[in-house]
Amino acid sequence: MERILAGIETEYGLWIKGRGADSQVDDAMMLVRSYPGEHFASWDYRFESPRADLRGFTVGQLAYDPEDAKFDTGKSRGSDHEVRSDRILPNGARFYNDHGHPEYATPECFESFETALHDYAGQYTVLRAAKVFEREVGREVKVYKNNTDFHGASYGTHESFLVPRSLGFEKIYQSVLPMLVVRQILTGAGKVGSEHGDWVPYQISQRADFFVEPFNTETLYRRPIFNTRDEPHADPDKWIRLHVISGDANMSPDCSSMKLGLVKLALQLAIVGEAPIWKFKNPVDAFKRISRDMTFEFKIELDSGSWTTAYEVFESYFSAAEAVFDLPSLPDQRHPSSIPETPETEIYRDITMARQQLSKLRSDFSAFAKEVDWAAKKVMLEQIVESEGLTWRDHSLQAYDLEYHNVDPDEGLYFALREMGQVDDLGDAEDCLEDFFVGRLDTSRAVPRGIAVKEHKAHLKTASWRSLVFEVDGKAIEIELDPTRTYRRERLQGLDVVSFIQALRG
Amino acid sequence: MFTKADDRLRRPATPEPERKLGDDGGPGKPDIRKPGGDNELLKRLRKVDPDQAKKYRQRSGQ
Repeated sequence: MERILAGIETEYGLWIKGRGADSQVDDAMMLVRSYPGEHFASWDYRFESPRADLRGFTVGQLAYDPEDAKFDTGKSRGSDHEVRSDRILPNGARFYNDHGHPEYATPECFESFETALHDYAGQYTVLRAAKVFEREVGREVKVYKNNTDFHGASYGTHESFLVPRSLGFEKIYQSVLPMLVVRQILTGAGKVGSEHGDWVPYQISQRADFFVEPFNTETLYRRPIFNTRDEPHADPDKWIRLHVISGDANMSPDCSSMKLGLVKLALQLAIVGEAPIWKFKNPVDAFKRISRDMTFEFKIELDSGSWTTAYEVFESYFSAAEAVFDLPSLPDQRHPSSIPETPETEIYRDITMARQQLSKLRSDFSAFAKEVDWAAKKVMLEQIVESEGLTWRDHSLQAYDLEYHNVDPDEGLYFALREMGQVDDLGDAEDCLEDFFVGRLDTSRAVPRGIAVKEHKAHLKTASWRSLVFEVDGKAIEIELDPTRTYRRERLQGLDVVSFIQALRG
Repeated sequence: MFTKADDRLRRPATPEPERKLGDDGGPGKPDIRKPGGDNELLKRLRKVDPDQAKKYRQRSGQ
């Protein structure tokens, strides 16, 4: 089984006292530029193609939220390069301004929990920039890792998976869509109220209210569950990047890891032609109904006129994997604070954890709530409702919801729950966070990107996910980074630039 | 360092010596304190501005 390279991109919410959405692009730009750590500031935009569609065509233009368009009337902010203000970090991550949101894109990793910890460590990169920016502008600044402003605006947390192009759109869509609909049960971040349709007190997904189509290439407006953007982060003849936009921003790294792992499971089954086939009558409706179903029955209507449940959908993937793959049987895989060595051990870990969590959801909700964001927040809010004598329509509940996602460990309610032992801590992973700031554990192509930033900045002209461009003796040299290769840090560090380039050429 | 999956049960029982954090130009490690006797959640809930979500407006992202 081949490893699947994946990354997480998180657009952060930004609140600055006395400022609003009309100035958010300028503020996010300046916040990113306030980042005080080591970085390289020349991203290579040549390979970006947001209007290309996996189905083989390019759309003329992408839809734009008309409310946002009002903020930009008559404003000129300079070139894309200036507005985005990209920072490439010594761990290979990308930190930049995306549509007015500070965005942290993790270095790509082969293993899900490793990616999740990079995503978690990224919170502190954003927070560090925010603290400097706060001092510079003399205004209070808060950063939220969530996906909704409770007033109709949403911003995303996207996952990128490197997938062979030979698999084709139809097969990927059929294999992955059912999993995207149900995985929110184990990975949703939870939300008070609703922004479209009938009002509900609480729902599982932060994003469900914003999906209107099963698939399309849009991301800012008319969002789909399955995004068809064709913007490969590697050789486009061989690879696509599956761009998943329907997931929530997780405070719990375990949830982030599960979010990736469940899609990887679907993709691995697709690659061997054994993914379960589900024909949902209306995938968008199913996504929304699951998000709002506090009975936890999670019924899904099928094309055939009958129905199934999300539990059966999950189990169909798990049992297919057990039938097809040679999965190991390891004695202790309950907590992913150990990095599995192979895709098979990763799948085994995720199936084992997912089954345990689905069982807890039905039999011991308080145990489930220690592991899954939406449930942890729900239990916290129920305590507030009871102790303060509130109703679920009280607007202050949305403020408590928001503060669950405050990334400042001295303020955020998620961190208070951690401190109280009401959600699982990271165990030994917490002691290793520094490794993720500098990328010491990675073996993907993010390793040479990070080393180039740290050791060869004088010769580095541009960097992107797929290549590095150097200038040596007046000549431009572009090195394509192999997304399947294992790059050993110890063999690449401490070299002069010519030796480094030779080592990358292999 | 992380332990590999099948090494998990063989981890040393004694903690490794503390390492210097925040080097290499990266962010400093967050201060996540261990559970104490005080109700940290209650303390923080009292500091939450109940109108914060009302005031919170964002541009649409992706």
